[in-house]
Amino acid sequence: MNQVSMTSALSTGQTSVAGASITAQAITKTYGEGPAAFHALGPIDLDIKPGEFVSLIGPSGCGKSTTLLLASGLEPLSSGTLEVDGKPLTRPLSEVGIVFQDHLLLDFRTALDNVMLQQEIRGLDKAVIRERADMLFDRLGLKGAQKKYPRQLSGGMRQRVSIARALVHDPSMLLMDEPFGALDAITRTQIRHDLEMLWLETRKTVLFITHSIEEAVGLSDRVLVMSTSPGRIIEEIKIDLPRPRPAHLGEYPEFSAYAEKIYSIFAKLGVYKF
Amino acid sequence: MSEQALSTPQTERSPLWYRLDRLRSSFAGSAVLGLLAIAALLGLWEWLATLYNVPLWLVPKPSNFLGRLVSDWQMIGGHAIATSITIVEGFALGVLIAVPLALAIAAIPALERGLYPVIVFLNIMPKTVIGPILIVWFGIGPLVAALIVFLMCFFPILVDAMSGFKAVDKRLFYISRTMGANEWQSFWKFRLPAAMPHIFSGMKIGVVKAVEGVIVAEFIASNRGLGFMVMQASAFMDISLMFAGLVAAAIVALFFNGAMSVAERVLMPWSRAGH
Ligand SMILES: Nc1ncnc2c1ncn2[C@@H]1O[C@H](COP(=O)(O)OP(=O)(O)OP(=O)(O)O)[C@@H](O)[C@H]1O
Ligand SMILES: [Mg+2]
Repeated sequence: MNQVSMTSALSTGQTSVAGASITAQAITKTYGEGPAAFHALGPIDLDIKPGEFVSLIGPSGCGKSTTLLLASGLEPLSSGTLEVDGKPLTRPLSEVGIVFQDHLLLDFRTALDNVMLQQEIRGLDKAVIRERADMLFDRLGLKGAQKKYPRQLSGGMRQRVSIARALVHDPSMLLMDEPFGALDAITRTQIRHDLEMLWLETRKTVLFITHSIEEAVGLSDRVLVMSTSPGRIIEEIKIDLPRPRPAHLGEYPEFSAYAEKIYSIFAKLGVYKF
Repeated sequence: MSEQALSTPQTERSPLWYRLDRLRSSFAGSAVLGLLAIAALLGLWEWLATLYNVPLWLVPKPSNFLGRLVSDWQMIGGHAIATSITIVEGFALGVLIAVPLALAIAAIPALERGLYPVIVFLNIMPKTVIGPILIVWFGIGPLVAALIVFLMCFFPILVDAMSGFKAVDKRLFYISRTMGANEWQSFWKFRLPAAMPHIFSGMKIGVVKAVEGVIVAEFIASNRGLGFMVMQASAFMDISLMFAGLVAAAIVALFFNGAMSVAERVLMPWSRAGH
């Protein structure tokens, strides 16, 4: 009952209700020019459906963050084509929320004001966004943290505020670059669950970058495994597990089978040297 | 050692020491302690000078020069105000030029490569050397003193503001761009406040330099202000007025440093918010 009313409140957004699709063909990225040029990524293809939760996992430096920057239009492609909702990307997406490994909150704004920045800059309706912000604060376990400055919050709470900032304008796509990478294991498990519950209600398209096999399997519909640099997608694994997924994934044989599969790919790649 | 001793935090001190520490850390407390220390020092000075009968023209007693501060308050106050105005002018000019320039330099790499050597050169050059040149151009007066003050405080503000603007995380711009922020919003809402702590620490150094520099500037290049007054008193061998000028200069310095602290608290409440 409560769940249902939350759902409608969370998705009575302005422009979009469902997630966006991302399709990419043979995209590559080369940083720099001439002799200093560095081929960082690809070519890779992506076909992410509206409302899908897709994780990108791969060795350090393989181009995961680069992929995210390309998919959001923040960095130009070096070659290939990329479409969001069927339209080629020509400038940075705005129907999007981004969360990085560091919270990147502004020290000089309270938690709420950090989130409301979305409203200020986009010129959205203040009352509507304020209501959504309070809702997200509740849902993300941030009750009462509205007026606190980031330095008054714990690392986990800051990251939660940063997730609220990425969702408050009801974007159709959520891009996350190792969002839980800097958190302790307990916080990570909780915040993973909270994110999954939010996603189940809103079904935004999520591109989630991680180093953690547990996170990838615990959250995704699909896991894309990347090779060492320059990264290519070498394996696509559909995760057929019921949701919401449990906290202690390791205890479930189905989970272990998926995790084992990813480990073995990494082992073949030579990511692990034991 | 017993287990209990090991687990006792080392912060434990005697209650008196703790209370003194609390007093020291509170603003009013530190002011009271400071005043007490100064009063004790002046008392000792007065006592020694009377005891050994030190002649007034050599070292005045505190009662002499503090007396001058009272009896000549109009003249000294006038000069103190002139000095303050010079500080404000020079400092404001410094901030108004240094901050935008720092932003431009941080944003345009070519500008940095071109301008940085010039800035470093101008920075290491003793600023008072320019005084006589400025006198030739503008004549003796507070304007020249203000320009010297400007040069004194300009560089620390520029350098800190530059590092402030550069230290802003690139991924913050990614976030601002997905929000659709224009250049103006990106400056006002992200860059400037994010660089503010750096700019402020530059401004604090700048104010110290300004209150230090203004007296020297008035020695050489002004016909008003405390520096000028002390020079004049020196010409007349009026040593108690010179000491009074010194005290007045210290009060002006104290005032400006205090004003900076207040401005910091007002403009950057987050930097003081405790846990
Ligand atoms: N702006 C840039 N200029 C030049 N090279 C870059 C730039 N950004 C990234 N690279 C390089 O491109 C490669 C891929 O970087 P990217 O950040 O996408 O890796 P990643 O997979 O996210 O790594 P990690 O897991 O460590 O975050 C790296 O070798 C990196 O050094
Ligand atoms: Mg990365």
